[in-house]
Amino acid sequence: MSAVFPSRIAKLNRLRCSIFQTIYNPTGIRTGAKYLRARLRGPSMLDYYPVEMNISKIARLYPELEITDEDEEQRFQDVEDRKKRGKGAPKKARTKEQGRRAQRRR
Amino acid sequence: MPNIRVLRDMKARKGVFDNEVTRRAYLYVARNQTLPPQVRHQAQLQLNTFGRYTRPTTVKNRCHESGRGRGIISEFALCRFQFRLKALAGELNGVRKASW
Repeated sequence: MSAVFPSRIAKLNRLRCSIFQTIYNPTGIRTGAKYLRARLRGPSMLDYYPVEMNISKIARLYPELEITDEDEEQRFQDVEDRKKRGKGAPKKARTKEQGRRAQRRR
Repeated sequence: MPNIRVLRDMKARKGVFDNEVTRRAYLYVARNQTLPPQVRHQAQLQLNTFGRYTRPTTVKNRCHESGRGRGIISEFALCRFQFRLKALAGELNGVRKASW
């Protein structure tokens, strides 16, 4: 059994690559091919959560049906009533001095 | 109604889905050692401009039922407590309480 020259082994590898249609990369340099080869994970990530259907979603999907969400209407009505009684949400602070945090410190 | 953490996770999933192809292209350029370093650097800078919710690592599998992020049994996508509740109620096929 005689020793095989490294140059001949390299030649063999090159030939092997051409036959099996792989890229000849003897130094193992990074080509980034693994980022192209890997499957896209987005689609399977998207359908992890089950699709939940409710009245407001259906109403948004089909505006021509003119469905009214009664619970939501009631909520709006309640908010209006509360505002009338002066129990609405406070106005957004315009400046930092008006903020509740600044008032508390004083 | 899913809680805010689940909503945020949904947002991340959507972002990953929308930006995956372009991100992969930039990754390919940035990690390719056969390309000139300037080009690779530019690609890396572009990668850095992507938002937080476009990286696949920000996606976390949460419980379908309670939105909990820890102790998820991935086969059922439920957290351990919801899994127990459902299993005891007989809602999970092929799952029964061990007894010997």
